Amino acid sequence: MLFAFSIIYYHLPLMLLIISLVYSATRHDDWDEILGEAFRWGIRMFGFILCVAAVLFVASFLIH
Amino acid sequence: MSSAPTDNSSSKPPETSMTAAVLSYLIPGLGQIYQGRFGKGFLFMISLLGMFFLGQAMGNWQNVYMPGGDEAGQRNRGVVSALITRWHFIGQFWIGINAWPAIWQFYDMPMPSKEKSAFWHNYQKTPNESEVNQFLVNSDKQPDLGWVYTVIAGMLNILVIYDAYAGPVFNPNLKPTSRPAGQAGEAKKEGVA
Repeated sequence: MLFAFSIIYYHLPLMLLIISLVYSATRHDDWDEILGEAFRWGIRMFGFILCVAAVLFVASFLIH
Repeated sequence: MSSAPTDNSSSKPPETSMTAAVLSYLIPGLGQIYQGRFGKGFLFMISLLGMFFLGQAMGNWQNVYMPGGDEAGQRNRGVVSALITRWHFIGQFWIGINAWPAIWQFYDMPMPSKEKSAFWHNYQKTPNESEVNQFLVNSDKQPDLGWVYTVIAGMLNILVIYDAYAGPVFNPNLKPTSRPAGQAGEAKKEGVA
């Protein structure tokens, strides 16, 4: 049950990789720039998701 | 002291390509391949089509459709009503021909018979509500993530279409115009006036 619940989070790296790569590739033609920008966007998105997760984690304690 | 006049030939807008844009709409990345940008073309094609089909598979191939009929299969909705009911398709549509079977099914066009191929008969067809509910009840959160994959793939392809049409956002061939000092001063005066 725990595995079934948590398996959805394995999709997160895949989504971050694809979205950041495709988005960056529409902004640049040079591969070094594409990969650099994809890395930066990946970090930004992961940071944003971490912030949301932290807020929800704290909120879950407050509600209880 | 005035700087030397610069060559403005590099500041002309990049050439746009409607053919490449249409090709990238039909199949993600095909426009870039048509333009000779093979690496990016294959990146878009594999990423977006992979995402779209993975999303469909996660939703048991029942999350890309335009609801057009009732339980008996009679079409009783217009396009606008169908899109309001199933707004996901507005995003999924932009993946191109891979979402066209939903439109095909919406207009009740001929598909392989159920006996011949049940999968293709029901491909992107409005699913039976009770079957979908049963599937969702017995699943984890993957079906929800599945339709998100399909919508994101379609929305990202809008950026890909624009890239095929006008090039990347930061186009190396489009350098900022640098005017001679005299002209810049005149432009300022015009702005004040």
